[in-house]
Amino acid sequence: MSRFHPLEVTDVTHDTRDSVIVTLRAPDGEAFRFIQGQYLTFRRDFDGQEIRRSYSICSGLDDGTLRVGIKRVDGGAFSSWANDNLAPGDVLEAMPPAGNFHVPLVPDQARHYLGFAGGSGITPVLSIIRTVLTREPKSRFTLVYANRQISSIMFREELEDLKNLYLGRLTVLHVLEQDAQEIELFTGRIDADKMAALFTHWVDPKSVDVAFICGPEPMMLTIAAALRDHGLQDSQIKFELFASNQPGRLKQSAKAQAQAATGRSCALSVTLDGTTRALELPLDGTSVLEAALGANLDAPFACKAGVCSTCRAKVLEGEAEMAVNHALEDYEVRMGYVLTCQCLPLSDKLVISYDE
Amino acid sequence: MNEMPIEEYLAQGGRLTSPGNVPPRYRGELLRLMASFVDSELAASAGFADVINDAPGITSRIAAARIVLEKADHAERVLKVMAEFGADTSRYVGTHPWAARVARDADIGAVRQGGDMRLAVFHYPLAGWADAVVMNVLQGAAAVIQLQEYGRISYQPLAEVFRAIAPREARHAELGRAGLAQIMETAPDQVRAALEYWHPRVALGFGQKGSERFAMLKRLGLRHRPNEDLLAEWQSTIATQLAEHDLKVA
Repeated sequence: MSRFHPLEVTDVTHDTRDSVIVTLRAPDGEAFRFIQGQYLTFRRDFDGQEIRRSYSICSGLDDGTLRVGIKRVDGGAFSSWANDNLAPGDVLEAMPPAGNFHVPLVPDQARHYLGFAGGSGITPVLSIIRTVLTREPKSRFTLVYANRQISSIMFREELEDLKNLYLGRLTVLHVLEQDAQEIELFTGRIDADKMAALFTHWVDPKSVDVAFICGPEPMMLTIAAALRDHGLQDSQIKFELFASNQPGRLKQSAKAQAQAATGRSCALSVTLDGTTRALELPLDGTSVLEAALGANLDAPFACKAGVCSTCRAKVLEGEAEMAVNHALEDYEVRMGYVLTCQCLPLSDKLVISYDE
Repeated sequence: MNEMPIEEYLAQGGRLTSPGNVPPRYRGELLRLMASFVDSELAASAGFADVINDAPGITSRIAAARIVLEKADHAERVLKVMAEFGADTSRYVGTHPWAARVARDADIGAVRQGGDMRLAVFHYPLAGWADAVVMNVLQGAAAVIQLQEYGRISYQPLAEVFRAIAPREARHAELGRAGLAQIMETAPDQVRAALEYWHPRVALGFGQKGSERFAMLKRLGLRHRPNEDLLAEWQSTIATQLAEHDLKVA
């Protein structure tokens, strides 16, 4: 199972008003060797609550550095802290690189890559661009990069420098929501019309080998649909969605009310797909999952042996224990997650939700 | 930012890319689907292992051994995706007795047995070489169709694994057809008996018509074509393949 490693911050550069580029010293050895387009997951304790956040690596394979870009999210605890307080000499805890937003490199091929980035979605795309330019000398990259305004463009100068360094191999088309540009294609949001114009005037869709998309969901949908309309196969389109499902805003975790098991059954409340059902759970070794399935609830499960984590749910109230847990990590258990196939109540009331 | 509910994003064909952006119900269904695939592959591999010694020639022994090897490999590839969600891969393989089978004449329908998520068809025992080849022809064709469906799945890392696996599973089905052609020359009656036994059991693996679960999975982008469409495609594929040998199923 993946572990966290302490990484020293060696540089913090403010790139735009609300983003920082953080350079880290990778520990010796293989653990932090990355593939272009991967991300790092960091953890930090905020007032007793652990928050984990993933940020894409923006370095190329041959840069000899490990850099991530962190854009401030409104109310985001980790990104705000990183933008306001992070300084060289600090130590961040990070898991080894993960993710598969890449295609295998083929050094002697002359490919045409097409990348679409929205806002901070540029970070993994930049890693891919930098890598392709050095590792596939015959390949070229066209980047379509959407931002609100000029001042919010991350890595603007770095991209300019790359364009000049690899003359003719990197093309950057900026699309700005607010600042009017001379050509209409470049102003406003990316929509089907803009994509059609792109493929008419700038890029021959037949020339594209692989397309990378990283940005907000609606933008990715629009672009993917247009790419398919212009003849690209699903296997040629690589999505990267930000890993941001975990709550990043600080809140008090619900305190479990420990009650001694006195009766012979437990009042079990199960929430699944937005619906809550009240059940009686006999204290005879029947698991929460079995009780839910017995009541014809369509609860997810697979191995029933505590190894696969399909049946994960969260205890919102009450106390429970797991007979076996091979799948959940300590932090998940601390947050109240249980494997319901292994979950036995310790209190006479237990509130469980599969929707958390 | 352009915030869009993840359910809407999925309903419009969006792709998810890491465990971190997967909502709870999606997570459960995705893991379930992966577990079902892994368990079926492990059970298929374990079942075919016994058949290697029944194979009549060296070529067919190699074909059977290759199927045993590659199905285990496919299980491992999907298990790696499950591991990113926390599944313990080292313990997983020891969870269920993959070679165990019910009695040949048991009738378990499409019901899963215990905590083992393999398709019900993989609970039935193979009875000799001809039987194994026929089962492989039928289930192989089903796997090809199911993998086409799974190659479009909205969890991108898994879709990529399925797309990589698909050609090799298609090859397993081809090996089955080559074996079938051989057996037809010597023991056509055994083939007919095996067809009668396996055809309805493989068909059940496509699930119910008008399934409610399908509707939910479709909203999540985990399925695209309804069970009955996949079944109809399989029936017609199999009918064509059997017609080459003047074989028919009821």
